[in-house]
Amino acid sequence: MRLSSLSGVLLLLTCLPSALALKAGDFKTCAQSGFCRRGRALAERANANAGAWTSPYSVDPSTLVIAPHEAQFTAGVKSSLYPDIKFGLDVRVHKDGVVRVRMDEVGGLRKRYDEAASWALIQQPEISSEIRWTAGKKDVRAVYGRKKEFEVVITFEPLRVTLLRNGKEQVVLNGQGLLHMEHFRTKEETPATAQVEGGEEGEQVVIKAENPRAWFEGESEDAYWDETFLSWTDSKPKGPESLSLDINFPNHGHVYGIPQRATHLDLPTTTGENPTFTDPYRLYNADVFEYLASSPMSLYGSIPLMHAHSPDSTVAIFNAIASETWIDVSHPTRSSTNTQWVSESGILDVFILPGPTPSDVFAQYATLTGAAPLPAHWALGYHQCRWNYVSTDDVRSVQKRFDEEDIPVDVFWLDIEYAEEHKYFIWDRKNFPDPVDMMKDVEAVGRKMVVIVDPHLKRSSNYPVYQEASELNVLVKPKNGEGEYEGWCWSGSSSWVDFFNPNSWDWWKGLFKTTVRDDGKFSWLDSTENVHVWNDMNEPSIFNGPEITMPKDSIHYGGWEHRDVHNINGMLFHNLTSQAVSTRSDPPKRPFVLTRSFYAGSQRFGAMWTGDNLGTWDHMAVGIYMVLANGVAGMTFAGSDVGGFFGNPEPEMLVRWYQVGAFNPFFRAHAHLDTKRREPFLLDEPYKSIVRDILRLRYSMLPVWYTAFHEGSLTGVPVLRPHYVMFPQDEAGFSIDDQYFVGSSGLLVKPVVQKGVTETSVYLPEDQVGIALVYYNYFTNYIYTGSAKGKNVTVPSALHQTPLLIRGGSIVSTRERPRRSSPLMKYDPFTLRVALDKSGNAKGDLYLDDGETYDYQQGNYIWREFVAGKNGKKGVKISSKDLGIAGRAGNEFEMSMESVRVEKIVVVGLGGKPTSVKLEAGGKELEWTYEPGVAADGKKEGEGSVLVIKDPGVGVGIDWVVVVS
Amino acid sequence: MLPWLLLLVPIPALLAPTPALAGPGIPKTHGVAPNLLSRYTPSSKSTWKCLDGSKEIAWSAVNDDYCDCLDGSDEPGTGACPGTSFYCKNEGHIGTSIPATRVNDGLCEVECCDGSDEKSGVCPNLCKEIGDAYRQKLEEENKLRRKGSKIRSSYISFAKKEKKRLEESITSTLAEISVREKEVARLQDIVDRTESLSAAALEHKKQSPLYTSLLAHHEALTHLRSLHAASLAREAELGNILDGLRRGYNPNYQDMAVLEAVRGWEGVKGLKHIYDEGGLKDGEEGGEGEVKEGEVKVAEGEEERDEETMEKELDMLLDVDHVSLLLEHERHVNAPVEESILFDITSYLPDTLIPQYLTVKESIVSLLQKVGVVRGAVDGSSSDASRTRELLSAAQHSLKLTTEEKDKAEEDLKDLFDERWFGKEGEWKKLDKVCLEKDTGDYTYEVCLFEEARQKPNSGGQTFSLGKFHSWNEDAEPGTPAYYSKQHYRQGTKCWNGPNRSVVFLLTCGLENEILSVVELEKCEYQLTGTSPALCLPVGEGTTGVGTGGMKTAKEEL
Repeated sequence: MRLSSLSGVLLLLTCLPSALALKAGDFKTCAQSGFCRRGRALAERANANAGAWTSPYSVDPSTLVIAPHEAQFTAGVKSSLYPDIKFGLDVRVHKDGVVRVRMDEVGGLRKRYDEAASWALIQQPEISSEIRWTAGKKDVRAVYGRKKEFEVVITFEPLRVTLLRNGKEQVVLNGQGLLHMEHFRTKEETPATAQVEGGEEGEQVVIKAENPRAWFEGESEDAYWDETFLSWTDSKPKGPESLSLDINFPNHGHVYGIPQRATHLDLPTTTGENPTFTDPYRLYNADVFEYLASSPMSLYGSIPLMHAHSPDSTVAIFNAIASETWIDVSHPTRSSTNTQWVSESGILDVFILPGPTPSDVFAQYATLTGAAPLPAHWALGYHQCRWNYVSTDDVRSVQKRFDEEDIPVDVFWLDIEYAEEHKYFIWDRKNFPDPVDMMKDVEAVGRKMVVIVDPHLKRSSNYPVYQEASELNVLVKPKNGEGEYEGWCWSGSSSWVDFFNPNSWDWWKGLFKTTVRDDGKFSWLDSTENVHVWNDMNEPSIFNGPEITMPKDSIHYGGWEHRDVHNINGMLFHNLTSQAVSTRSDPPKRPFVLTRSFYAGSQRFGAMWTGDNLGTWDHMAVGIYMVLANGVAGMTFAGSDVGGFFGNPEPEMLVRWYQVGAFNPFFRAHAHLDTKRREPFLLDEPYKSIVRDILRLRYSMLPVWYTAFHEGSLTGVPVLRPHYVMFPQDEAGFSIDDQYFVGSSGLLVKPVVQKGVTETSVYLPEDQVGIALVYYNYFTNYIYTGSAKGKNVTVPSALHQTPLLIRGGSIVSTRERPRRSSPLMKYDPFTLRVALDKSGNAKGDLYLDDGETYDYQQGNYIWREFVAGKNGKKGVKISSKDLGIAGRAGNEFEMSMESVRVEKIVVVGLGGKPTSVKLEAGGKELEWTYEPGVAADGKKEGEGSVLVIKDPGVGVGIDWVVVVS
Repeated sequence: MLPWLLLLVPIPALLAPTPALAGPGIPKTHGVAPNLLSRYTPSSKSTWKCLDGSKEIAWSAVNDDYCDCLDGSDEPGTGACPGTSFYCKNEGHIGTSIPATRVNDGLCEVECCDGSDEKSGVCPNLCKEIGDAYRQKLEEENKLRRKGSKIRSSYISFAKKEKKRLEESITSTLAEISVREKEVARLQDIVDRTESLSAAALEHKKQSPLYTSLLAHHEALTHLRSLHAASLAREAELGNILDGLRRGYNPNYQDMAVLEAVRGWEGVKGLKHIYDEGGLKDGEEGGEGEVKEGEVKVAEGEEERDEETMEKELDMLLDVDHVSLLLEHERHVNAPVEESILFDITSYLPDTLIPQYLTVKESIVSLLQKVGVVRGAVDGSSSDASRTRELLSAAQHSLKLTTEEKDKAEEDLKDLFDERWFGKEGEWKKLDKVCLEKDTGDYTYEVCLFEEARQKPNSGGQTFSLGKFHSWNEDAEPGTPAYYSKQHYRQGTKCWNGPNRSVVFLLTCGLENEILSVVELEKCEYQLTGTSPALCLPVGEGTTGVGTGGMKTAKEEL
């Protein structure tokens, strides 16, 4: 949610034909950011002197200290530019083969910010005690891996870090010599011969006489000591402290990740020959009003994680830095990638993830920053939001209309207008006189509410939350370090809690208690434990701040400047709110907290959405790429606002958007204050019924989504899986981001994101195993046969149809009884859809638990693997077995689900009509019907044969075998 | 709001249902609506045909918690077939159907007070309590309706009286019209005759440069005036837009364009800056700068009075009969500079003597003329003609007024029993132009029925029109209770960044004519609820009586 008035004003003042427009001038380009200019200029000088360029940084071998019992060494690093300045290098190899490279200035005038990783990492990574460093004359190296395939080499002069696999370079740091850590210095008073004020954007350039370092640093001290952008001047009291580093992938032609921005998953180039974008990618959490559907611009969240991919290897880089960072990407050849990372402050702290497969990389990243935990089950249902449902009665009547139309929904949301004068937690009693009764009415149908709590606290003497924060002295301070920083946001004059200050933590967590606090401080008595939270505006968004955020010279806990911690700021707010929501109940329950701003590690605290998108087809499309990119970087519980935040989508667009949303991990419809209401029940026919069917489809597939989240919580693999993740060797899929797989369910979806579509071309990937080259239309069982080289097929996709295929070889579990909300489906029976592959096999798994507590950690869950395999020449044997840890049998949850059965098994792609279908145990003949059709092992396309087994009489939590002969 | 939710008994919901797996014990007719009961019988071979005839299944497959039939008819009692419905007998209360989605979902539906929607033992039978509560509520509603319908009948008799009054008015105005028509005809005849005599002379006079210039002036003035009116309207519109901007913009100081516009406007209007520091502290957002605004209002008031005077003068200037003026002018120019007392003597005479005087004067003047003392007969006749013209024009005007009065009465009579206006029985006539108000704190909302809805800021400031009466409920059949449960007011003042303001006024039966609530569900679109006795049909009339007219079903009455 954001500035409501701007679009109208633009319309009024400039008579634009459309009210929608980005104010690009509010945000910096690289040319308007001093350190980015310096970084790019460095790269230009290096390119211009390509033959003669050598990095001035080198390791001093005499200082090398190798730890005796673990894979760590330290060494001094010096720069030939500044012989008196000392740097320290620290390189470790973790147990899982991840290489961490740290470099910092030693004994400098000040300290560089070095805590970014500590906020991102889930724990201190374990350093390998087996891998050994070997020092040579020119380098120090370590060889590791099961087959000794990995080698990491730190070359002394110039300093260069190389990761090799089977002798092939995977990742190279400082290979181009762009490493530059600006050391702290004191400001020299007017040594300049000439001062040039100027540059269009107010850059300040000081030209010095005869600079021996000019070949590397340039002639001028560009924006070293202060910097002005529009009407804001950044005082930069610490002077220049930026960090440039080139990271090259000499054998990887595709890079992904570094969300969040509105562009393709396979990152287009920003430099080199004919770059797609002319500005580097930027990581600087920003509230960009009406952002463009294609832009390298920074958005609300930043994750400095980049995957590099080739048919034989996937590696990744996690650059743990929290300050503003710009990243140039180029492909010197089709199969190589160069990148340059320029950050404003902070130490060098780079994690090299060696892969070599996508799932290895996900596991390595999850070991560092944690996997997204299993969310509350209801959070995967449909969320209905709007800025704003205006009263408790409004919420009740929206719920009533959903139920009258029998349209499922799990969560009703309240945006900022519930709060009196935008003092979050404090209800506007005029319109919300009975909030707890309203919540109880919503809970009565098994539903939840999500209520917004933003980080800006209204500076008001009658706002206890602000008063308490002020008394605790936990608010962010202005640049002089005294008092409280004051800025403008929804609540008018506001201040911001400094969550870097540990004193704020327990206090903040206590605010969400629904009971009276012992310490007499505020707690949210007007709420219930079924109210969860939405954290918006946590970049932070500040209307009168530079680039709509906090001035970089504001002061946080420990004296750090905002510039040092900016990209982490939003994560801490999310982190603490998430802990608060979880621990307000005893025993704790799984929290749901949605955030707009995020950083590496935010996946541990809840879901994110792609912010304030526009109701256009372009935004609908880019939302899919963005959700995929966020997933690659760990933020897998992601979605974009259905319908678009701004604008009034026509019914056709809204229907398509519901189809997109139904296949997003986080499924929420939201709309701006100025838009017409567009809840599904308001649609005319046939749109209303189509949307009802889409929602029911989502609900029927909740077991698939929950199982995918469960898998992701264990492996770090995202819920939505792009082609390169599923088929890492299929080059034709490396740039595909408009279709994807859902978990490991075998479901392949390609949402329609254009007007007037009736059929869609879907790419069936090349299969390296070569056995599953058959796909089924989920709705019609039509069989598409793939090809070893990959193939496009045409799938019908009129307005009521979503192109959704099941890969042969999969067993999909669904619940086919529509209900009003997901908790009401708890005891509904399951349907298994067995989609045979060419050799007559299939498998799939199903995970279930109580959906909201942590009891599953004590073994209270059902986790089954369903396997279909050949039974004789033509028959099939379908079995269910336990996948959970042993000794759980008869656990409380399993017992409570005893009555829940598999009501139907559908087998598609059989070669012929069975003669009998029996339960193996007891040999009871089951009822079944068979519709002849195309077989999975044939060459023909067409409607597949369908065997429907009626009520095998088996519970979902027990072992069983059904034999089809 | 949702009494049925409040009535929800402690929900055994979400507790495991008791029977394990598909309970075979469900009767085959469980959940079957009474009108279909006869079709739920097995064939002699113990089979059963799906109701759509598409499939023949084993009788044992009916209500076995597995959906066999395409139309779902084999599972009336288990909810296994999506899209079907389940019939609760609700003995002791009213039987009703609920959607299959609510069967065996662990919740005890209040619509299904006998608890038959869940497996046995899950839900208690509350039909007695709920039935009693329902009947009590029904009785209360009936009581309300009985009282309300008395008031309503007084409205109807008002309409009847009104009808009589209008009919009488029409009769009398018709008589008056015929009298006036005769008078107009008589004067017209005189004017025609005099004017035909002097027509040629008049034509000649009309060639006078002064006259043509006068016409040109008149035309220019008319044009200027309409331009002025248009620009005033535009100024008001822009003023509204800027007021809206000033009040509604986000204090986003980084957007200089918005801030400049607001500050500029405040400068022009002499207002204090709306978000001036201190003004916002401790939430006094509403009231700042209002005093000053009031002062400005005074200044504006003076301006408005000037405007009014000017308007009046313009009206007079533009209403002048140019021909009369021309003749007057002639007379004036030709008169001696010092007017003879003889010609002006009428001004000194009491009215009663004038006729005699005129007779005398006429004979004296004609005598003098003959003698040659006094000049020109033409002038005399033209002055008479102009007077007759004035009389004619006055008579025409009265005729027009009377005719209008008659037309209006006829129109009113037509609307009186028009379904689309005051209802078949004219029950709404009594409320025509009656204004209801609701104070919501910041604003008072006013609906003048059948006329206009308005929003008046309580702390001073501009009143916005929320729209003029447009129609009753367009989605309902005219004349039905549902039709009168909703009024639309549309085309109110435009929102500066939104649509024209509009109102949906939802009405139910109540003893008072009042507005109960106001809510802005979408920007500048207001939903009001209220009551009126005009909606209280006598018990036994109308589909379900009270409420939003016929839209409710029994279950919602619970």
